Amino acid sequence: MKYTDTYIKLADFGRELLQKKSLSEGLPHIAKYAKDVILARRCSIYIYNSENDELWTTLADGISKIKLNANKGIVGQTIRTQKPIIVNNAYAHPNFSSAVDKETGYKTNNIITTPIFNSKREIIGVLQLLNKDEGFDEDDVKFMIFFAHYVSGFLELITKYKITKSKNNEKL
Amino acid sequence: MQSEDMYSKLADFGRELLEKKSFGEGLPHIVSYAKEVMGADRCSVYIYEEENDKLWTTHSDGVKKIIVPSGKGVVGYTLRVRKPVIVNDPYSDVNFLPDVDKKTGYKTQNMISAPIFDSNREIIGVLQLLNKAKGDFDNDDKRFIIFFAHYISGFLELVAKRKA
Repeated sequence: MKYTDTYIKLADFGRELLQKKSLSEGLPHIAKYAKDVILARRCSIYIYNSENDELWTTLADGISKIKLNANKGIVGQTIRTQKPIIVNNAYAHPNFSSAVDKETGYKTNNIITTPIFNSKREIIGVLQLLNKDEGFDEDDVKFMIFFAHYVSGFLELITKYKITKSKNNEKL
Repeated sequence: MQSEDMYSKLADFGRELLEKKSFGEGLPHIVSYAKEVMGADRCSVYIYEEENDKLWTTHSDGVKKIIVPSGKGVVGYTLRVRKPVIVNDPYSDVNFLPDVDKKTGYKTQNMISAPIFDSNREIIGVLQLLNKAKGDFDNDDKRFIIFFAHYISGFLELVAKRKA
């Protein structure tokens, strides 16, 4: 299994992540780590808002936000099927939306996504990686499932106790 | 507690937990934190081994193992229903095993337990707390234990993967 050595370093990554005080600090950290470990060129973590069925993510600087309609593209399909997806020929896939490529000028060749669940098994986000030279495979899927779960504790913690602090009627 | 403080406390706890390299080191740390944060007198984390359908836990020293048959008691019931279970009157609950109290001399007044799932939604353990200091276990406790079981599951799965 090609990810065996990775598990040893994941504790350090997790400790660093738990030092971040907000999503905009944490998301670039997760994205960078996932990219380096899975050997993909790009990574985005989309945070899902079920109230308005919207996804948002931050650019690499952690500041600018991009919003996305949750029923579009491969990320949208991930939310509907609640399962990881590999697309190794993006432009041939019926659900692939080339709008982002057109806007950014970056060409997507292959994609892997996985849903991120909270403790109640609700989707709170989608982890997406783009462009691995040799394409994505089943080992990558297995690792992504583990990794999405591993970071979900941080994401739920920060959503539960930081963002919703204004409606502070929940005990604890 | 203010949620900002709660965030810092849980983040600090999570970072400390990730310093631990094994179940033997990690479980006592989880137990002492869970007891404090939930205001309960006792806590056990049971690790579930699917291959031989057994649950085990450690003494508070983290060394000695205690093996529990997975079909018995409220913990066994939690494994089967895959949901948190509150028992506020154990001696009238069909699943409760009074044998352990008899053996240890400790009287269980109320308990809450929750399954711990891994990333593939398989049960890897059960978290159990006994004897809440103030009143019975309630829905707020249930909400928190679901969150907390998930929060520690990343560490538990990581330890299991490293051993494999």
